[in-house]
Amino acid sequence: MNSIVSVSSISKKYKLSSKKKEVTQTFFNKIFKKKVIDEYWAVNDVSFSLNKGDKLGIIGNNGAGKSTLLKILSKITKPTTGKVDIKGKVASLLEVGTGFHPELSGRENIYLNGAILGMTKSQITQQFDEIVEFAGDQIIKFLDTPVKRYSSGMYVRLGFAIAAHLDPDILIVDEVLAVGDADFQKKSLGKMKEVASNDKTILFVSHNLTAVANLCNKTLHLERGYVNQFGETGEVLNNYLSALQNNLFEQSFDHINFAPGNDLVRLKYAKLTPTLFGKQLIADVRSSLKIDLEFWNLVDNQNLNISLHVFASTGECIFNVGSSSNLLNKGVIQASLAIPGYFLNDGNYLVSFMVVKDKSIVLYNFEEVFNFEIADYREDTNWYGKWPGYVRPQFDFSIQQVSLKL
Amino acid sequence: MTFFNISSFQFSKSIELFLIFSKRDLSVRFKQTSLGMIWAIIRPISTMFVFLFAYKNVTNISNISGYPIQIVIYSGILFWNLFATSFQSVSNSILISSNLISKVYFPRMIILFSAIAVSLIDFLFGLLVYFVLAIYFKINISAYIFLLPIVILVTIFISIGLGALIASFSVRKRDLLQVIPIIVQYGFFVTPIVYTSLEFYLKPWFKIYTFINPLVGLVEFFRFTLISGYQVLSLTEILISVFSSFSIFIFGLSVFHFKKDTFVDHL
Repeated sequence: MNSIVSVSSISKKYKLSSKKKEVTQTFFNKIFKKKVIDEYWAVNDVSFSLNKGDKLGIIGNNGAGKSTLLKILSKITKPTTGKVDIKGKVASLLEVGTGFHPELSGRENIYLNGAILGMTKSQITQQFDEIVEFAGDQIIKFLDTPVKRYSSGMYVRLGFAIAAHLDPDILIVDEVLAVGDADFQKKSLGKMKEVASNDKTILFVSHNLTAVANLCNKTLHLERGYVNQFGETGEVLNNYLSALQNNLFEQSFDHINFAPGNDLVRLKYAKLTPTLFGKQLIADVRSSLKIDLEFWNLVDNQNLNISLHVFASTGECIFNVGSSSNLLNKGVIQASLAIPGYFLNDGNYLVSFMVVKDKSIVLYNFEEVFNFEIADYREDTNWYGKWPGYVRPQFDFSIQQVSLKL
Repeated sequence: MTFFNISSFQFSKSIELFLIFSKRDLSVRFKQTSLGMIWAIIRPISTMFVFLFAYKNVTNISNISGYPIQIVIYSGILFWNLFATSFQSVSNSILISSNLISKVYFPRMIILFSAIAVSLIDFLFGLLVYFVLAIYFKINISAYIFLLPIVILVTIFISIGLGALIASFSVRKRDLLQVIPIIVQYGFFVTPIVYTSLEFYLKPWFKIYTFINPLVGLVEFFRFTLISGYQVLSLTEILISVFSSFSIFIFGLSVFHFKKDTFVDHL
């Protein structure tokens, strides 16, 4: 085999000592008993190999082990078991501008960062002008200013410019495309494509499936540390998307006694249905979402309404809607809500809802009823960075020429 | 994998990275202070004056073991500062560079070695002041001055060795960081820095002590190279200290070598 990267069953174990247990331990317990240590396998029995020129996309949810895998591949940490064999010069780019010193000037930092990333002084000197030019006009003026005075955009642009001029055989990249403004992103992606078009081997972690589909010929799908799939990008992405679809956004409970809730209300049924377009397998930003809820009401004659919250995966509440309040009796109550398309931006969301009495007393809060993902969808764009914000409205926004005079 | 990781990261590149890290620390040092290197002189001089004050006013001593008190104290402090500041910055070097270590691979040992740049330059500036003092007190400089680089090198080795030990263990638990000020503070007094070992070098335990605390032999060796006619310890005692320093250096680096690959998991 002439594989340039070969990874054979690597695993990485982390020890987590749980704090809760430590607090309740008495002094003597601490001395005589062994501390309770939880083990956690961030990467578990991962194997794959790449040939020269392969571009590998690594996808998976948060916590799937993508970053740990990259750290092992770039030799930042050692795997607990298994072997990595990489032939050739590796450059890993887990962050833009690693090692920049705020007190040093842009010029000094180019040399510093370049050396850290594995360039020799003469290589940096040779490419110095190109790097500065790639970083943009603004940087030229501030080349002898300490980088602590740079705007965050300039900082990132300079960092990427240096990284873009590394000349490794194997490049390991962690979502660095999502930096800078739209204009710079276009430039960075162009540079990535240029690198991709020659015989360099690239390992690229991304949440952005569109970018993976565009850049990579092979894809590795990780799930909770294990390899779910490894193969041709088209095939893996299709399976990945249809697997997401099979995560049924539906819960139903047959027995009132085992359903979540309390003596006042219990959940019977909950379903989230996205509208899908064409061959589409999961909800994207275009999809409207329909939420159907059913619950048992166990008390006669009360005024009830539902208050539904949608949270971003970061925990922030995106919005809260309330239903109208109705006088309801014992039995099954049904509620439904429609969220239009082009409303939520791509990302992961959580839905909770409360049953509220007399518009003020919360009878029960059903937390995390749905956990769903909305994929990105774009037309007519070359820009693949993360679209900012939690909402993705399509408002009428026109632009036209009103005069030819200057 | 070889000891210095030459296999995956060329040695010449390691040297370049070492130089650029050292340069970074030095230029940051210059940029952040307006007096710059003057501070390298102010520190040992002011420590010397504190001890002169104590010796002259409290105990009325005017010379130590027959040598001018200023010369003995200043040379001692100069040596001690080289050891103490190198040791401190090597000990902290890994934690300070934690961001770098968790994002990029390069031979981790470079960090330890480049951490001494600033203290070495400070030392060289302090050394200039010593020569001024020597001229003032009419102390001759002998040919043994050519041995000075060896003392400096051995002192740096022991600082790196001890610092590497603390750096390796403090990544996981920060307790050992508390040991640094203790070593620096008490070490100053149990080592003949503001006195000489002339008063107790004949004691039966002294040879063992030069092994346990190699700084004893090193500081007297240091004075031997600087002060003409100064010879307190025998060659054997000095060699014991030098040997002990090398052992600490090798031991510290070995521990570091075995721990370095998992630093990231604990940072």
